[in-house]
This record gives sequence, structure tokens and C-alpha cells, in this order.
Amino acid sequence: MLGGISGRHRSPVKGSSLEFAQYRKYVPGDDTRRLDWRTWGRTDRYYLKEFEADTNLRLCFIVDTSGSMNYGKEGGKTRLDYARSLAGTLAYLATNQGDAVGLMNTSPESAMKEIPAKRGPVHLKVLLDQIGIMEANGESELISTIHAAAEKIPQRALIVIVSDLLFEPEPLREALQHLRFRKHDVVLFHLLDREEIDFQFDRPTRFLDLEGGPSLLADPSLIQRRYREAVETYLGQIDEIVNQSALDYHRVMLDEPYDQVLARFLLGRNPKTARSAR
Amino acid sequence: MSFLQPILLIGLPLALLPVIIHLINQHRHRTVKWAAMMFLLDAKKLTKGIDRLRQFLILAMRVLAVAALIFAASRPLAGGFMAGAGGNADTILVLLDRSASMEEQNLETGESKRSSALAKISELLQKTSSRSEVVLIDSATLEPTKVTDLKLLESLPQAAATATGANVPALLQAGVDYLATNASGRTDIWIASDLRNDDWRTASGNWQSIRADLASNETVRLFLLTYEQRSPNNLAVSVTNVNRRRTPSGYELAMDLTIKRTSPSGENDDALNLPVEFTINGTRTLQSLTVAGDEFVRLGYTVKLGAGDERGWGRIDLPADNNPSDNQAYFVYDEPPVRKTIIVSDDQTTASTIATAASTPVDPSTRYEAKTISPGDSAQIPWDETALLIWQAAIPGEESAEAALLRQHLEKGRTLILLPPPDTNSSEGNALFGNQWDTWADRTNTPASASWWRTESGLLENTRNGTPLPVDKLRFFKTRSFSGELQPILKLEDETVVIAKVLTETKGSLYFWGTLPRTDHSTLATEGISFFIMTHRSLAEGANSVSKARMLDTGPSALVGKMEKIETSESESGLISVGLVPGAFKNESDAENQLLVALNRPVTEDNPETLNSGAIESLLEGVEYRRISDEVGSGSSLAAEIWRAFLVAMALALLAEAILCLPPRPETKPETKPI
Repeated sequence: MLGGISGRHRSPVKGSSLEFAQYRKYVPGDDTRRLDWRTWGRTDRYYLKEFEADTNLRLCFIVDTSGSMNYGKEGGKTRLDYARSLAGTLAYLATNQGDAVGLMNTSPESAMKEIPAKRGPVHLKVLLDQIGIMEANGESELISTIHAAAEKIPQRALIVIVSDLLFEPEPLREALQHLRFRKHDVVLFHLLDREEIDFQFDRPTRFLDLEGGPSLLADPSLIQRRYREAVETYLGQIDEIVNQSALDYHRVMLDEPYDQVLARFLLGRNPKTARSAR
Repeated sequence: MSFLQPILLIGLPLALLPVIIHLINQHRHRTVKWAAMMFLLDAKKLTKGIDRLRQFLILAMRVLAVAALIFAASRPLAGGFMAGAGGNADTILVLLDRSASMEEQNLETGESKRSSALAKISELLQKTSSRSEVVLIDSATLEPTKVTDLKLLESLPQAAATATGANVPALLQAGVDYLATNASGRTDIWIASDLRNDDWRTASGNWQSIRADLASNETVRLFLLTYEQRSPNNLAVSVTNVNRRRTPSGYELAMDLTIKRTSPSGENDDALNLPVEFTINGTRTLQSLTVAGDEFVRLGYTVKLGAGDERGWGRIDLPADNNPSDNQAYFVYDEPPVRKTIIVSDDQTTASTIATAASTPVDPSTRYEAKTISPGDSAQIPWDETALLIWQAAIPGEESAEAALLRQHLEKGRTLILLPPPDTNSSEGNALFGNQWDTWADRTNTPASASWWRTESGLLENTRNGTPLPVDKLRFFKTRSFSGELQPILKLEDETVVIAKVLTETKGSLYFWGTLPRTDHSTLATEGISFFIMTHRSLAEGANSVSKARMLDTGPSALVGKMEKIETSESESGLISVGLVPGAFKNESDAENQLLVALNRPVTEDNPETLNSGAIESLLEGVEYRRISDEVGSGSSLAAEIWRAFLVAMALALLAEAILCLPPRPETKPETKPI
């Protein structure tokens, strides 16, 4: 991870830590102090000895705050609540190990749309407060927010996107590739509810659009088959996009305990596992 | 369509229950906040086509099932006519053909065409038209009879079997007249008939007015219940020209005996030996006759009479077959009457020629007399004794006493021949039965000959052995045309009708002869064979009614005066009194002039030819009618209950609904990817 201070995360830049990385041939302009004289003595050739450089993590959350994130069982937790739990817990863990944490939400009406990544418990409090008060409304601005994040975050960072992705998937492909182009490490938590996939309704229902669109009266028995076909097609498109973008994708059902989801995620971030995953 | 339980049709709106439930279900929707609207919109867009149709069909099947259940519970009726019937009529007119041919039976069931038609119409009306006024008009009496109890329709005396002929146009006219004189409202007319050509009288002038009346009356529906099938190997016997003759050993009867044989195929190649029973004054003898082909005709068949049998009655019986009404023929005989001809003319040449021909005997045992009377002395005509009246004088005025006497002469069954008065050439003159003389045509320079004459019946009919009369040898120099409703007997090359029979409703025969038996008018006298035969055939037609032993056709007016039964084939006194059954009768009131009458069905009843569909179409052109062809003993009903069909329809609708409700294919749930 690329950071301004030495931390617990492995940096992609070879530095001066104690952990040997590799030998490299000397090229003019290299620092002659890093020449490995023992190798020169044995082989009569100039090699540089490189070591892994430890650095701190810059973690940036992009949380979808469109109206559809308000979905949830009546009296229960909403999708946004689930996103808050995920983002807050990860922010706490990152801060505790000295990483910088930032936040971007997608709501254009939000007073504090962006919190730059910083370290320290004071910043964590500011960030958690912001996570706690953010509200979901309006149509999704996730795509533009991702593009904005790709442009604004100057250094390589771990970008965690939490969204229901309930929009046409095709623009997502370009947005994610934009992030990857900027060398960011991207994690995508795709929050869905089983009811949205199975569509189990037994009588005519009026569906109110959480993003403010017109409502729709439908007989589920009439459209159930077509609905499921549409969901299947959509999920296939998402799978194809995330595979192409080589990012860390997690499809999360809202009835899953979020601690289990986080545990799976963190175990997947193990260096060995992560390397093999890439 | 008719129903036995129409009250249950009130529940028909219940068929809309599935639709109402569907609408209530739609209305009772719940509301949920939903995020994945994009899938809903996609699904809704895709569901507009075949899935919506499927849903609509499911709903339609449910409606159909409920409707079919209600229809089945209402016990619907269907039959050959039901597609055209649209509910109960205010009046039902049953026009029944009671002719002898309608008595053809199915030997297995014992049903006749008449009884079968009555039973089926009765059953139908009991089921469908219990509130309608039912009126029966039968072909024998043409009198309307209101039927108060439909169960008794078959047992009404007006619907009983007769041995009469039928006049279907007159029957229909009676029905039309009934409609015209009664406020009948919506009316169904049912005609039950076997479609015999001779009964339907296609040449009748009544058809035109009947067609016009029926076509213009939109409240009338016409149904024909027809029984045109022929029974196998039916035999019919008839007897005509019964004459008592004196022989050296006593008396004998000479008669023309005809036995007709019919079969459905019309082919009767095999010879048939028949035991034929002759009954004369109650004494029975059995004789065996052989019938080969379609017809057995024995002209001058003789039967010896016993001592004391100078006058009396007789009967000929055939073995029982499919039609019992044509197995008997009655006859009566007496001393032959004097065959008197009266010629009313001032033309001595014509009168003497006719008198010579008419007084020349063709039967030695019969006396022939001819007398000429001047038109001015017509009061001297002995009307009671005259068999043939030849009138060569101006036709008397319609209201004159002479005209009334002429009509009475015809009513009695006598013959009247009108000859053209030679001294007038006016087309203006009086008419008799609507027929009158027109103008003379002089053909002296180019004598005309006969181009056509009626050979199958009438005055110029072929001889008994089928030889045509030498009519072609006749030449005509002067002819006088006539106009009216006529049946031509002889036509010239220019289509001028020279001899014709007037169609009247009387028992007698009225002829117009448009030429005279004078050498300056025609060769009738010189080529005398045809003239002689025509004169004697005319005389014979009128002689029967002069005789004290008369053979008449059955009919409501056949028996005049106080007649008593000698023997009849039926025991119903009501039918006997009106002359509708065959039999022998006598008038006991006048001991000196005791009259003997034999009643038989008209010989036309033995002709099996029936109308085809084209002929019916032609007769009822412009009239909407529905024809139901039935067969005796078929067991079919005019009003079959079809509730089973509706139950089947309901089951099919439910089955279709179940199939439509099945998911098109097994659902495969989209996989939810674990993290």
C-alpha cells in the first residue's frame, strides 16, 4: 500500500525495510549505495538488492446514498443501515492500525459530500458521525461519484464501494475501470435483499419507487417469471463486469450478519490469499 | 334456445363472478416500498403479450365454466329446429297432413307418420311452449281446433287417422286465414307432412298468395316436419268403374282393379303372389293374384254375383303391410243408370252429331239417351237425370238463374261442356268460374292440326293398353279461343288451346271446346274416334253421380244427407259421420230411391312420388322456413335435453384453465452468490 508514513501494509514501492524482495541489475542513475558488493565479488556484475517497503493504508469509502438504499423490512434495518455498519467497522479497524480513512457519499444534497482520508481518532469520530447522519434519497449518483473519486484521490488507495447497484450496469464497467486505471485497489459490497431476487408476492401489490419514480401496480403472479428472468440477466451482467475489472466483489444478502461478511472480507485480504486472488 | 328451468337463468350474471373476484383482488392490493423498480419495469414490459393473453384466457375459461354450469342446471333443449327457434311463440299452429299416406307405419313400433309427428310435436310443445296457444288445423276438415291440453293432442278426433287426400296449399291457406282473423302475435307454424306430390299440388294458384302472406309476416316462423321415406314393399288397392252386367246366367260385376306396389328403391322385379279377399254383401271369397313389377292393373276384372245380389256393396282386402289405410277398397253397385246427355243448341248439325255419338252405347247393358233443347227452352232440362250437359249458347250472366243451375249441375258431380256459340264473334261476354269466350279464328285456308294433347289423363288419355288416340289426324278450320284458369287438353301448332278443363272446386268437370263437330269447323265428326271417346268419357264422368250406386272420394262433404253405415274400416262414429274413413253407406230414408255410396281414399294417395328439396324451395321461395326430416320410429326427439353437453363444456373449460395455470416451465431460481 502506498502511504506517506511507515505502517503495517506492504507497499508496492520497494523501500528500506528489512524484508528482502529481489535482486535487480544496476542501471546508470541508480543509487550506488544500494549495490550488493558481495554479489559483485562473486559474479563480477553489478546488482542492486531490493527490500519490501512497509507503508500505511489510505482507505476511502464510497457509500451509495440513493433512495433505494432505504429499502428494508418494515421496522427492521435498511440497506443503508447495513452499509453504515460495514463502513463504520472497517473505518474503526483501519484507524486503529494507523491507516488514513476517508468517505464519499453519492447524495448531491449532502452537506458534507466528501471527507478526505486522514489518520487519528479525532478524524475517526468525525467520519463516524458523518456515517451516522447520512441519509438516502434521490436517484443514484454512484457512477459520477466513482469517477470523481478516481480523479480526486491522488495516491493509490483502497476504495470500498457499498451500494445496491440498482441501475443499468453498463456505466459501472467504465467507472470501475477508471478506478483501476488509477491503480486503486477496489472492493465492492453489493447489497441485495432476497425478496428482491425471489419476488415472492401472493397478491396484487402497488410498488412505491424509493427513488421517487412513479409507483407501479402489478399482479405478481403475472410478472413473476419475467421479473426473475430480468434479475438473472442483471446479475449475469454484474458478474461479467466485476470479472473484467478484477476487483474484490462481495454480493451480500441483507439477512446475513455483517460481522460474518466482514470476517470473510478480511480473511480474503490476507497477503497470500490476496496475491493468489489477483 | 329453450329451457326446462328458465328461472335458473336468472343466475347467469353469476358467470361474471370470476371477473368480479379478479377486480376485487386487484383493488385489494397492498403497498410496499420497493427499490428494484428496474426489474419490475422490465417484467411488466415483457408481460404485455402472450402472458396477458394467457391471463385473459384463464379468466374467460372460469367465466365459461360458471356459465356452462348455470346453463346445464337450466336444462336446455335442442333439436333439429332449435337453432332457428328463439323462444316461446304466442301461438303455435299445427297444420297436420291427415292423408291416407300419412298412415304408413313402422311395423316394429306400430307408429304411423301421423302419430309420430303428433307425438314429437306434442312432446316439443309440452317442453318449450307450455304457455303458447296451440291450434290444430287438419287437412281433412281445414277447421281450426284449439288444443287446451297438449297431452291430448294425439288423441284428438281432429288428429285421428283418415283415408282422405290432403290439399296442402289449402291447409296453409287455412293457417294464413287463421292468422289474419286472430290476433295470434308471434306464431310458429308447424307443418307435418309426407311431402306427397299430389298433396302439395304444386300447380295450385294458392301458392303465390301463401308465399306473399308468409313472407310479409315477420312474426311467423315456419317449420316443416317431413316424413318422406317410403315404406318397403307397400301394396295399395283401388277399384274404379264398377259396373253390374247381365249375363246369360245372371249378373256379374266388371271393375277396373289396380294394385300398386312401392319400395324405397323403386325396383320391384320379382313377382308376388297375393291372396286378395273379395267381400260382396258380406260374403267373402279369396283369390290369388300375381303382381309383377310396380303395378297390377286388371281392366274389366269380373266377379260373379250370386242370386239376390243385384245391388249391394263390396270390399277388396290386401294382406296387412306397412300402410293399413290403402289395403282396402270399397265399391257399391246397382242397376246402371241411363246415361243421359242434354244438348242445349240451336245448331242442328252440331247437336245431331253430338247426340248420335252420345246415344251410341259403349256398354250393351247400359241405356244411353241424348236430347237436344233450344237455349230458349233451357227450363226443360231434366237436371237430376242429366249426366252430361253440352251448352252451345251464350254463357248466362253471373247472377242469372241459369248460371246458378249450371254451377249446381257441376256441384253434383256432373259434366258440362261449353261449345262456342257460332253466331257471335264478340270477345265480350259472361264468364263461368272466371272463364269466358274470346274471338274466333278462321283457319280454313291453312287448317291447323294438334301439336300437343294430354295423354296421361283426361278426355284424350291414351287407351288402356297405352295406345294414343288418333288426335293427330284431326284438322281444325275454325277455332274460338277462351281465357281463364284452365288446364289445357289439346293445343294447336300456334299454341292455341282448343280443348281445356276448367279448374274448379266442384265435384263435376267443366270443359271448354273451342271448335264444333261440323265439317266447316273441324274434322271432329269425320275423324270421329277421338270425338266419340271424348264424348263418352265426359258422359262417364258425370254418370257416376247420377247412379244410385256412387263411388266417391273420402272427404268432409262426401256424405250428403242422412247416410247410414253398411260397413266401414273404422269404428269411430265421429269420423264416419263426416265421411273421412272408407266404407259403404246407404240412404235408408227413401225406400224407392235408396242410394248406395262407397267412400275410398283418392287414388292419388297411392302415388308415392314426393317433393324434393328444390321443389319445396320453389314453393316457399322468399319464405324463411326450417325443415326437419324425420323418420317413423327413429326415436329422436325434436327437443332433446343437452345439459350433458354443457357439463362437458364446463369440464373442458376447467381443464383448459388448469392447463393455462400451469407454469410454462420449471422455475430456476437465480443463484445468489455467496461472499
